[in-house]
Amino acid sequence: MEFDLENPLTDLEDLTSDSVASLFLTESDHMPSHSYFSSLQAGDMDILVRREAIASIAQFLTFRSSFMQFSCNFDPLLSYLAVNYLDRFLSCHLMLQPKQWVIKLLAISCVSLAAKMKKTDISISDFQGDAGIIFDTRTIGRMETLILGALKWRMRSVTPFSFISHFISLFKLQDPPLTQALKARAVHIIFKAQKDINFLVYNPSIVSASALLSASHELFPLQFPCFRNALSNCSYLNKDNLLHCYNALQAVVLEEYESVSEAVSSTVTPVNVLDQIFSSSESGKSNTVTTLRLERDIKRRKISHYCHNQTVHVSQIRQF
Amino acid sequence: MEKYEKLEKVGEGTYGKVYKAKDKATGQLVALKKTRLEMDEEGVPPTALREVSLLQMLSQSLYVVRLLSVEHVDNRKDGRPKPVLYLVFEYLDTDLKKFIDSHRKGSNPRPLAPSLIRNFLYQLCKGVAHCHSHGVLHRDLKPQNLLLDKERGILKIADLGLGRAFTVPLKSYTHEIVTLWYRAPEVLLGSTHYSTAVDMWSVGCIFAEMVRRQALFPGDSEFQQLLHIFRLLGTPTENEWRGVTSFRDWHVYPQWQPQNLARAVPSLGADGVDLLSKMLKYDPAERISAKAALDHPYFDSLDKSQF
Repeated sequence: MEFDLENPLTDLEDLTSDSVASLFLTESDHMPSHSYFSSLQAGDMDILVRREAIASIAQFLTFRSSFMQFSCNFDPLLSYLAVNYLDRFLSCHLMLQPKQWVIKLLAISCVSLAAKMKKTDISISDFQGDAGIIFDTRTIGRMETLILGALKWRMRSVTPFSFISHFISLFKLQDPPLTQALKARAVHIIFKAQKDINFLVYNPSIVSASALLSASHELFPLQFPCFRNALSNCSYLNKDNLLHCYNALQAVVLEEYESVSEAVSSTVTPVNVLDQIFSSSESGKSNTVTTLRLERDIKRRKISHYCHNQTVHVSQIRQF
Repeated sequence: MEKYEKLEKVGEGTYGKVYKAKDKATGQLVALKKTRLEMDEEGVPPTALREVSLLQMLSQSLYVVRLLSVEHVDNRKDGRPKPVLYLVFEYLDTDLKKFIDSHRKGSNPRPLAPSLIRNFLYQLCKGVAHCHSHGVLHRDLKPQNLLLDKERGILKIADLGLGRAFTVPLKSYTHEIVTLWYRAPEVLLGSTHYSTAVDMWSVGCIFAEMVRRQALFPGDSEFQQLLHIFRLLGTPTENEWRGVTSFRDWHVYPQWQPQNLARAVPSLGADGVDLLSKMLKYDPAERISAKAALDHPYFDSLDKSQF
């Protein structure tokens, strides 16, 4: 009964077409309402409340991982899930000017629920050493109940992670290291998108597909059109939304590169990633070597691609 | 719980008492199930949280009884030390057991129409396939757990057994409460690692019961239950079921030869008997899956577009 964000429905290995269909059918039950997005955008609800609560979630988890550093590593999916609960809760309980402690209590309760769902051995008392506010377990328990009621006990959130394997299977990639690289990059982009309120309007499947497209655009530009077509043929995806979300994501990703490139010297020479990939996989070297080289090349490419190829990037968006 | 008015006790579910109740605001009838899940020092117990949320997800299917809400009751006045969870389900007034009984006894005994049996079985397989695709075994499928919406002709699976917090008692307290009639042989033989096939055995028994209007294997103890099965299907040997003699509860049984299954379900056609025989395979690995059953020729004459 463990809850895996990448596979919220089932613990069976193969994803059947029925279970994929139910993911698409139920995803909208696991996202905040549209009014939430509009009230955040219009400033009816203070965007700082959300930001502060997310910061608290991160703080609790960082505190925990430094506390437990020898026993386990902090699972970023835990924070993703907690923020998902937070957004869904805030979207049915508009908090105009909540007190600081209310935000903290909400954050801690979302973390506690997420940890229970993910079977992460976490005890509420772990948080009690946190400098500042101390809540008793009964108070947190009551807050948990309030959140569960608001979320209608739909705690097995369908998130963008839930769709990654299905979409990647549509790409028919043969090489595990490539798949790994694509997935890792998409996961990174999905995490970035969660922080940005502009992505709250998009269904998790749209965010997932856009993140994969964005990742494939930077990692495998040659295959990009092919991936794009594969996703366009997926009947569950709204093409307009996919296009909008993809474009918005590209802007976010670009911002990231700009900040990276400012910090790195401009002497990096562009490398053709694809040649590297093919030569290393054909020569039959071990996967580890390929992956390592690939990662290094991706890092270089991240910078070089966006510093030098921005025009290509824009024209490819138009083709979309 | 002030939202609901308890009307009457309608049954003893696998997990506790079930009440018929009315939503005071809307007048909607609901089934209230008090769970044994209690809140503890650390808030909502993690197993309860995971299982109720899984139930919530499963009940999206038309063929699974809908979980309308979860009520957390913190009413310490009644002497209970801890808050309790109630599950609120949609209310359906009949189940397959009552329905079969009404065709066997009463003023107008008659067989169930073959087209209706086919229709119900298809819906049952749909619901079971849905649960299995979510990694959930029911483990206690029986006619009492299959609720009927007579007006719409819909069959819905109820009383899903999930994990630890809801575990179905395998070794019964009293045989009146826990029926063994639908239990797969591997479970009866003490296997602890059972799979989705246990549900398909139950589906087979229910299928036969719809045709016969009486239970296929009405055992009253685990041993008797196995004898009922062996008498009809033959005592299993290592040949058709590798590992059978290594089960924890395996004994030496009388050596029966398999009987003709068609004779147990005389009004069922050849396709139906074939499907039934695939559901009642001894080796769980050979037993047909719910998804494969949906494509069996027995359902060819059914208009599947209605589902």
